[in-house]
Amino acid sequence: VADWVALGDRAIRFARPERSARTLVRAVRAWPGVIDVVVARSEVAAYFAAEPRVDPAWIAALASAPDDPEPGRDVALPAAYNGPDLADVAAALGRTVDDVCALHAGATYTVETMGFSPGFAYLSGLPAALELPRRTTPRTRVPAGTIAIAGLSTGVYPFDSPGGWHLIGSVVGIKMFGPDGPLLQLGDRVRFVP
Amino acid sequence: MTFTVVRALGLVTVQDLGRRGHMHEAVPPGGALVADRLIAANRAVRNPDDAPALEILGQLAIRAERALEVATDVLPPRAVPVGSELAITSEPRRVTYLAVRGGIAAPVMFGGRGALLCAGLGGLVRARDRVLTAELPEVELPAAPAAAATAPAAPDAPIRLIAGPDFDHFAPGALDLLVSSDYRVLPSSDRVGTRLDGPALPRTGVPEVSRPMVLGAIEVPRDGKPIVLGPEHPTTGGYPVIAVVARADLGRLFSVRLGGTVRFTR
Repeated sequence: VADWVALGDRAIRFARPERSARTLVRAVRAWPGVIDVVVARSEVAAYFAAEPRVDPAWIAALASAPDDPEPGRDVALPAAYNGPDLADVAAALGRTVDDVCALHAGATYTVETMGFSPGFAYLSGLPAALELPRRTTPRTRVPAGTIAIAGLSTGVYPFDSPGGWHLIGSVVGIKMFGPDGPLLQLGDRVRFVP
Repeated sequence: MTFTVVRALGLVTVQDLGRRGHMHEAVPPGGALVADRLIAANRAVRNPDDAPALEILGQLAIRAERALEVATDVLPPRAVPVGSELAITSEPRRVTYLAVRGGIAAPVMFGGRGALLCAGLGGLVRARDRVLTAELPEVELPAAPAAAATAPAAPDAPIRLIAGPDFDHFAPGALDLLVSSDYRVLPSSDRVGTRLDGPALPRTGVPEVSRPMVLGAIEVPRDGKPIVLGPEHPTTGGYPVIAVVARADLGRLFSVRLGGTVRFTR
């Protein structure tokens, strides 16, 4: 039987079952009384309109929840590899700048979780050859549209915000969050096109 | 156009009851900082509970360009004749709501009419803005006030908490310190977080991980000074949560003026 903890009196938190975020969101939103769901890297929270009433069997059943029948979309993001950390990243990895750009643009990523800032998508699938720890000193302001990497993730900052990732470029001619909401959704497959 | 903003000091925005159902896209619920006060102001002018109104953290003065009927969460309904001015202050509280009969006309943006500054939806209300009112139909007042989820507490009673869940990130006694000390609401507080000054809450060395957050969560950064998450909070965060404010008491907490003192209880 799966465990959960109270996150106040309107939400619960539990360990993330090994399923896609898209599938988890769909399954948890079907629970009675649930109004919102957040899937983080290793935990899930379910938000209720009133005091949560949870059957532990619901959580246990997530491990075998049917996959979301709507597949993620394929999204191409026009990109310019002109970030202020590009040279440092290449040096730290022992590669050329061109290598770094080619590796980053050559991979297909998946929106695995969303968080941090409205519409920010954690893209999994960064080539292991580009793995670096976060910067030791985060920047207080990273401009909207900046492409960054850290660990085995990449992402694009939708808004000006603080940030601790390595800045390698920026998207061109697109907004990551507009009046209709975020450009990327859970499950989308994303490529960067120089 | 139905009124002109003469003066806006502090943080003045259009707010409704927020946007549900988008937290999985990292979009927080938003909406009124103190939903009960927005509802009270709307009901006073027979608006639907979720009608857009002006949230005032500071001061606002308007000049009517046509006859208006307005109310706040503390001032009863009144008529504002054409050409006359009306000044509202949130003092002695942190926030007040100005509702206009018919509601403020604001476009639906991503499922809500209120400003969500962190997502670039809507913006601050400023001097010289011209504001339109809508014509939402009149709603009959409910026979009885909306039932509170839990028994209402006295206005100055301590704010109730639900302890945890990140107990392993705090040294023994941290929660006792939180509920036995006075905390002051810092002026740097906004709709994202209400920052508190008081005894630092001692943390352990357990590494931070990014986890789902919730409205009212009390996050504790490394400096030990608690931050209570507001309606524009990030949906995930790395600081551990020592406790979450009971939803029934959240409005009382967010109503305490900047510089004011709060006390918590388990």
